[in-house]
Amino acid sequence: MSLRRSEAQALVKTALKAATLADVRVRITSSRSGNLRFAGNAPTTAGEVERLDVSVTATRDQASATVSGTTRDAPGVIALVRRAEALAALAPKDPEHMPPLGPQTYLRVDAEDPAVVKLGPDERSDAVARVLKVARDAKLVASGLYEHVHRSMSFGTSAGLFAYHADTTVTLTTTCRTSDGSGSGWGGAMSHRLADLDATAVARRAADKAEMTRGTAPALAPGAYTVVLEAQAVADLLGFLIGSLGARAADEGRSFFSRPGGNALGEALFGPQIRVYSDPQDPAHPSTPVGTDGLPLTKTTWIDQGKLLALTTPRWWAQKQGRAPVPAPRSVFMAGGTADVSGLVRGVQSGVLVTRLWYNRMLDPRQILATGLTRDGTFKIDAGKLTGAVKNMRYNESPVTLLKQALALGKPERVVDEGGTIYVVPPIVVEGFHFASVSDAV
Amino acid sequence: MPSTRRAFLAATTAATAGLVWPHREAWAGPAPARVPAPASAPASADAGARMLAMSPLLRDEPLAQLAVDAARKAGASYVDARLVAWQREQISVRDDHVSDVGLRTDYGLGVRVLADGAWGFAATQRLDSKSVGDAARSAVSMARRSALLMPEPISLVATPVVRGAWVSPMQQDPFAVPMADKAGLLLAAARVAMAIKGVAHVDATILGVREEKLLITSEGSRVHQIFHRVLPGLTATAIDRRRGRFVTRDHEVAPMLAGYEHVTAADLVGQAPVIADEALQKLHAAPVVPGKKQVILAPSNLWLTIHESIGHSTELDRALGWEANFAGTSFLTPDKRGKLKIGSERVQITADRTQPGGLATTAWDDEAVAAQRWAIVEDGVFVGWQTTRDLAAAVGDTSSRGCLYADGYGSVAFPRMPNVSLQPGAEGYTTEDLINATDDGILISGRGSWSIDQQRYNFQFGGQFFWEIKKGRLTRPLRDVAYQANTVEFWSSCDMLGGAASYRLGGTISDGKGEPSQSNAVSHGCPPARFTVNVINTSTNTGSGT
Repeated sequence: MSLRRSEAQALVKTALKAATLADVRVRITSSRSGNLRFAGNAPTTAGEVERLDVSVTATRDQASATVSGTTRDAPGVIALVRRAEALAALAPKDPEHMPPLGPQTYLRVDAEDPAVVKLGPDERSDAVARVLKVARDAKLVASGLYEHVHRSMSFGTSAGLFAYHADTTVTLTTTCRTSDGSGSGWGGAMSHRLADLDATAVARRAADKAEMTRGTAPALAPGAYTVVLEAQAVADLLGFLIGSLGARAADEGRSFFSRPGGNALGEALFGPQIRVYSDPQDPAHPSTPVGTDGLPLTKTTWIDQGKLLALTTPRWWAQKQGRAPVPAPRSVFMAGGTADVSGLVRGVQSGVLVTRLWYNRMLDPRQILATGLTRDGTFKIDAGKLTGAVKNMRYNESPVTLLKQALALGKPERVVDEGGTIYVVPPIVVEGFHFASVSDAV
Repeated sequence: MPSTRRAFLAATTAATAGLVWPHREAWAGPAPARVPAPASAPASADAGARMLAMSPLLRDEPLAQLAVDAARKAGASYVDARLVAWQREQISVRDDHVSDVGLRTDYGLGVRVLADGAWGFAATQRLDSKSVGDAARSAVSMARRSALLMPEPISLVATPVVRGAWVSPMQQDPFAVPMADKAGLLLAAARVAMAIKGVAHVDATILGVREEKLLITSEGSRVHQIFHRVLPGLTATAIDRRRGRFVTRDHEVAPMLAGYEHVTAADLVGQAPVIADEALQKLHAAPVVPGKKQVILAPSNLWLTIHESIGHSTELDRALGWEANFAGTSFLTPDKRGKLKIGSERVQITADRTQPGGLATTAWDDEAVAAQRWAIVEDGVFVGWQTTRDLAAAVGDTSSRGCLYADGYGSVAFPRMPNVSLQPGAEGYTTEDLINATDDGILISGRGSWSIDQQRYNFQFGGQFFWEIKKGRLTRPLRDVAYQANTVEFWSSCDMLGGAASYRLGGTISDGKGEPSQSNAVSHGCPPARFTVNVINTSTNTGSGT
């Protein structure tokens, strides 16, 4: 079990009571997770892990230090406070240090599913068995991961703030490959609710793509194409833009959103149909209402009608610039339409369908230009139909292109994330998307 | 790389302390080559012996034994229990102030079992006999449940039983240096860099890491080891607001398995004006003209290309499909060992977990197999895999190469990369020799953007600093450079190597792999070397710069 609110609050109280400095902050994260990994149509490793991290930040005269440990008893937590206070006494001043926040009001969010909390080896094994059945029936080789976590985060300050959030996540991803290694397909799903995860459906998606990519795929010439990016690929690329939404980097001239003497807030940078927002209370995809430093996360619109409306702004920078602080988002929703991927494909005369992107890295932050490769299902589109697999390709492209040159948006869906920020985004048809070179990788 | 031709050439002949790997004799580390692997470790230095004797893990050793016994009693055929403690101390400076001071510790016990031919694992940070016993039993029940879905049981190759202890060699414990001294050093370096007109921001950091683990296996092995790794860093940012351009320039110092002496040797204050000046040179450098070109890759750049194209493709778990869902598979398959030519005849690549300073250097791996050195590529031919006890058994080898590693108590141990290094050329060339022999090319140093596909064919790498080479001379700095190639074409195009004096170690402390994802620390040594690649201009999505 991860720590319940009452247990966490008691530990935070113990720490704050032991503090001798006036500015002490305590963050406790705890989790219980389970996983079953598989490859070659059989389980490989399985695990159950209990984690706890108690982190104490003490500040004296604007000099701070953070000390953390895996202790859950009162003497251990008090020892962390003592070490943090001692280290703070040695640390140099940080003129950007902000006083601790007092009590805050948070949105009510229910992100815990009791069915996920109770998951154990039998349920993990049953889910993986369903994936393996699909793969074996299709004479494919499946690998993947079934994973679930129940975690809680608590944050308290010596100014009287106490915040607590708990959530569950269950994830299944699988890659099905043909036994001759010539074809590969991927499927994945992630939710806070067990009932949303259909292992057989995830496996079928991967298996279908593996079948469709079987055999020798022709290579397309590098260049600009009309591309249908599935939601997973959209999120893979959009993450670079969300990560670039910092007001400070923009104001200091270190970002795509920099302008002479300021930033690009208010500018129509993208297509008029583009809307990107965050919402902790989304009923299907709830996320934490507690932001960095205890700032409340609220519904925030980042881009509307293609216009940039908000940049993330830490407390010190906000104060210096005379603006309100804006914490970094923990959920990203992009508005879309109603069409599914096959509906979008039907509208494309000539183009490429991309399942997901891999090894994505920033090339040039001035343009948010990134590089990476297509993977596990890349197809040619002719006259509204998939006409066969093509070799994977490296792209050198910016999410800005995606939001500027989108021709059509499909129905948004939750994708599999790695960074702990929820992405619910549509598949997108984009024109003029650049592929730079061909890869032989399957 | 230094910022002027003269400074550059001076550095290549009498390299500065920060960039040169110290002589082996300075280190009380394991011998460079030990084949066959010895059953006991080399003696640790006196300070190491004291560190081991004072270890808080010894207090909990009975719990590790309890985990092994409980899992055996529950029916496991093999068990290993690991007490793992991490300490990470980071201090960071931005411009004129300290932005972060942190000391983070992480400690618990993980137990891995083989039961009915399947793996199970459980971990807890609650170090009491009930929690540990429960974890051991739950690992066994997980394994038994998995075994029902397995057509073939896992088997392990044999390994000698060892009892030993080892502490990675160092001269000065990074955790014993006062925080105020570290802050003073970083603030001084930042001040010097900020004094260069045109530099807008400076970030400087020192990360010290201490990893300690006590491993007990059901076969009777007991291994207690302590590792220290350090990473100094300095980055200058230059901004041209009028033209809307900005660049960053990083110090090219590598993380090392070493003590604070490595931070001292990096000479952050002395190097700060060079780094700052080079940031400005980058800002005003000429855009690269793309095309097929010769590039000379400095060790500070080439290490990462070795890591991605050779290090990962020769992991046997990838070749067998165990990583297919995440990290990917490999263009190398088990039948290609000893047969496939993947580089020119001068390409000799060696795996070595005994290399002094190497981040993946150890005395034994996480299943008590002794550290080794072995060939990966010989005369351009792929000859050796990275293996663990279960992987070795899967391909019919009789012993493991000792590559098992878990990145903490809560992580299941699995195959991770050893130090994999390109051997220097016999001709003894200097970097200057390589430049002089190049008519039209680019000298690339430092780590930039990097990306490679899931079977390790197609890669595209950037760098930190780029010198144009014309007619055997460094002419001017370039910007927006990346090189793209396919692994076999790239290594086949290798036509010149620096000699032993030009060999340096690079590395990373955060190589990601596995699900749930884990992080590994690994080094790669190499001389500068020359290749033919596709150079692209990264200022536009077309790769042409226009």
